[in-house]
Amino acid sequence: MPGGVSARHPFQFNALRRLLPMKKTLLVCLHLLLVPFVYSDSDSSSRKMLEALALDRVDSVDDHLNALVETGDPFIKEFVDAWRVGEVYEYELENTEKVILHRVSEQFQLLTTGEVLEVPEVREEFLKKSRASRSLRKDLARITDTIDLASPNLHTRIDAALKLGQSQNIVYLPSLRSRLDRETNEKAKRAFEEGIMISLLKNAETPGERLGAVVRLGELASLKGRDLVIKIRDENEEGGDPELFAAAHESVLQILKRQSIVENVGSFFRGLSTGSVLLIVAFGLAITFGLMGIINMAHGEFIAIGGYTCYVVQNVFENAFGVQSGAFQWFFWVSLPISFLVAALIGLIFEKGFIRFLYRRPLESLLATWGLSMVMRQTFRLIFGAANVSVETPNVLNGTSKLGLVSMSDTRLFIVIFAGFVILITWLLLSKTNLGLYIRAVMQNRNMASSLGIPVARVNSMTFAFGCGLASLAGATLSLVSNVGPSMGQTYIVDSFMVVVAGGLGNLIGAGISALGIGVIDQFLQPLLGPVMGKIVVLFAIILFLQWKPGGLFPTKSRSLDD
Amino acid sequence: MSPFKKLAASLALLASVANVTYAGETDGTVKVGVLHSLSGTMAISETSLRDILLFTFDEINANGGVLGKKIEPVVVDGASDWPLFAEKAAQLLAKDKVAATFGCWTSVSRKSVLPVYEKYNGLLFYPVQYEGEELSPNIFYTAEAVGQQAIPAVDFLLKEGIQKFYLIGTDYVYPQTTNLVLLEYLLSKGIPLENIGGGLRKDAKGEVISAGKYTPFSHSDYQQIVSEIKDFAASGDAAVLNTVNGDSNVSFFKEIAASGLTADDCPIVSYSLSEDEFRALPTKDLVGHLGSWTYFMSLDTPANKKFIKNWKKWLKKTDASGVQKNDRVTCSPMVLSYNGVYLWKKAVEKAGTFEVDAVIKALESGISFDGPGGTVTTQENHHLTKNVYIGEILEDGQFEILESFDDVYGEPFLKGTFK
Repeated sequence: MPGGVSARHPFQFNALRRLLPMKKTLLVCLHLLLVPFVYSDSDSSSRKMLEALALDRVDSVDDHLNALVETGDPFIKEFVDAWRVGEVYEYELENTEKVILHRVSEQFQLLTTGEVLEVPEVREEFLKKSRASRSLRKDLARITDTIDLASPNLHTRIDAALKLGQSQNIVYLPSLRSRLDRETNEKAKRAFEEGIMISLLKNAETPGERLGAVVRLGELASLKGRDLVIKIRDENEEGGDPELFAAAHESVLQILKRQSIVENVGSFFRGLSTGSVLLIVAFGLAITFGLMGIINMAHGEFIAIGGYTCYVVQNVFENAFGVQSGAFQWFFWVSLPISFLVAALIGLIFEKGFIRFLYRRPLESLLATWGLSMVMRQTFRLIFGAANVSVETPNVLNGTSKLGLVSMSDTRLFIVIFAGFVILITWLLLSKTNLGLYIRAVMQNRNMASSLGIPVARVNSMTFAFGCGLASLAGATLSLVSNVGPSMGQTYIVDSFMVVVAGGLGNLIGAGISALGIGVIDQFLQPLLGPVMGKIVVLFAIILFLQWKPGGLFPTKSRSLDD
Repeated sequence: MSPFKKLAASLALLASVANVTYAGETDGTVKVGVLHSLSGTMAISETSLRDILLFTFDEINANGGVLGKKIEPVVVDGASDWPLFAEKAAQLLAKDKVAATFGCWTSVSRKSVLPVYEKYNGLLFYPVQYEGEELSPNIFYTAEAVGQQAIPAVDFLLKEGIQKFYLIGTDYVYPQTTNLVLLEYLLSKGIPLENIGGGLRKDAKGEVISAGKYTPFSHSDYQQIVSEIKDFAASGDAAVLNTVNGDSNVSFFKEIAASGLTADDCPIVSYSLSEDEFRALPTKDLVGHLGSWTYFMSLDTPANKKFIKNWKKWLKKTDASGVQKNDRVTCSPMVLSYNGVYLWKKAVEKAGTFEVDAVIKALESGISFDGPGGTVTTQENHHLTKNVYIGEILEDGQFEILESFDDVYGEPFLKGTFK
């Protein structure tokens, strides 16, 4: 199709007519609002090719795919992603040709031109989901990887280069090589070279080239090439090429050295993330149990309140704005303060209701809050049902970030940062405000504080409510990595007490350090012992530790006669 | 009713009970047991089986019952408490004298009622995929054996060019046993040991006692494992065989999605996730991954369409208490429960009596039923020959069927058979 706006009009008109139903009744239902658009010719050709593919109107899929790669159109990736998650439809009205619609944030776009059809009622009975077969999707994934080689995003480029290299398919070698020449970024250059070398392990034309690849992979300490180099080493160990064996052996050693560094750094970061989850979960308890001395068995249920608040806010946003809308993405951030307030309010009511009668009887607080936890769990079941509910992860947090040697999912990274934020806020509150001063005074000696004119009852209520609010914040955050259900709190209650006791009662910094410590130890033990044994060893170590230091990491020193 | 009439009626009832050969059977009705957890952790899954059984009984009763008698269900609650299952089973057999029982989900509940059924010479139909290595004369396993679920899925993956398999599961008998069988199977198919991920545990003699990675129930931290899987799958020809059960799947799939690993990079076959479980899972994270069952709700056959239509109709009008009426789906364990009832009905009709030994004999002789998932036939070894389907998970929580294996024989003893 020739370019230019004027030339596009007839097509627009055609598209309109094709979409318009023949029957008058249907005509009434369809109101197409065409939005102006600008696309270059190459874009429209790749779009047409995609349409032919989606409508299964191609003779040779391979040739077609190759032609698609040639266009290098970044839109292909967008479309393939949409295709995978079911946002691509066949649309066919009576007596008309089939067209492909691509749904983007609740709007249907005509694939061939990108026209936005703001149709209040694209008639559902004429819509059919289009699905790519598995093998086609696998091929398409390779195509998008090839296109990604030229992506402006550095990480996308690196990932694509390594992926194509690892496929060891000879057809990608030329594009990898030509990209390497044009690449300016050092990191990306390394990745391209690594991809090429991995591919050469299989596709080398001469034994010398292969040997060179083995040596170079060793120098690059290529983790991705590890298994392949090991395979070459083993194949040539007996009766093979001795030179190749020696080179492979040397390379494997270099790679393994690098791997152990990467694994340790990775375990450390993962430990930090596990520790942050523990910390966020235990911090509320560090206040209600650690500071106030209430053995709060209902702590887990306050965590669940956070999860459920998040779920409720999500549903409200879904009903108000629709899942596809940009506004919906905000639900998580809105739910954080709401979950804090909801749980703080409920905590306040419980404190006023009966916990305030138990300050002098800590053991009875155990029974009372245990009963409370059962009542709360059953209430969740009554309101939300016994099954887990699912909370979406906002798009901003859907991805991974590279931290030096290791990559970490953005949700985990967010939790680490958020844990730091929670500590900071709590520390500021306790040490820099008057309320904090009162809290510390009341916790140290209720009677003395009272006789000095501090409103003890009010400080108690506020502190308990604050602790419950923190627990709930934890629940809202955990909805990103785990499930929300009536018994979700039960999963975390033991961990929470473990952290608080090991850290030392009444010491928030102790709780922080013990949470991170337990997390890191757990993640270092997991690869060695597996998740089950790893956990057992951690628990056992804590028992031994408490034998040695019964007060935990930082025992609170007190002159009070009660202690 | 006057007191006198009441007395007369109960006397008549007593007489009729005393007269018939098999207890639990009166002139008009026959009692059958429904033994599922209606409370506790397993209630989410097992309540659906209770519902489908009640539907099946109503359907049969509306068409004249079994041997002219109406089915009278005795529903008891195992409460996700395994010893309680045994107690309730004894109650069904000794007090209610049921002609047959349909029930159990977890392998541990089945193991706990097994001696009860053998002691009282009862008859239990067990409908949920399990690990095999068991054969009780008093149990009929309508369930998928390993060879009817896990192995066909591996065959499918091998055909797709998958060369590396990562095994992961929850730490209990079903995943452990299944993965050991899968390990043997994969080795027999020429997959080298280093291409099987998750790790091996060997005993002192060097024999493999556990294959794959295991996490406790309700485990929620899958970072380490997912990073291992990502490395494992980097070569692009790997798949994960997932026998993780329950809640943990949410954390597992969220971590997978966050790591950027898509179903095209590394498909995950989940053996414990069916349409019914998807109601509580983030399906967005599961799209493109695989499932393997002997029935999918999306099966496009007249029998299945009729089954779903009748089930929905029943849901609308039923007044049974505790039945959730909206957003219901059907899944393999439900259909295998349904098939079990019909197979029992046919066996009773063939034997001409409700007497357990005669019914078992009839079942062993090979009885076929055209169920929603295709024809199933009972075997002498108390398992069923049935079709197996491989499906891909869609965003609406349904499966798109990719492959079917017809008439797969049910063999419980697979360990050590692949060389």
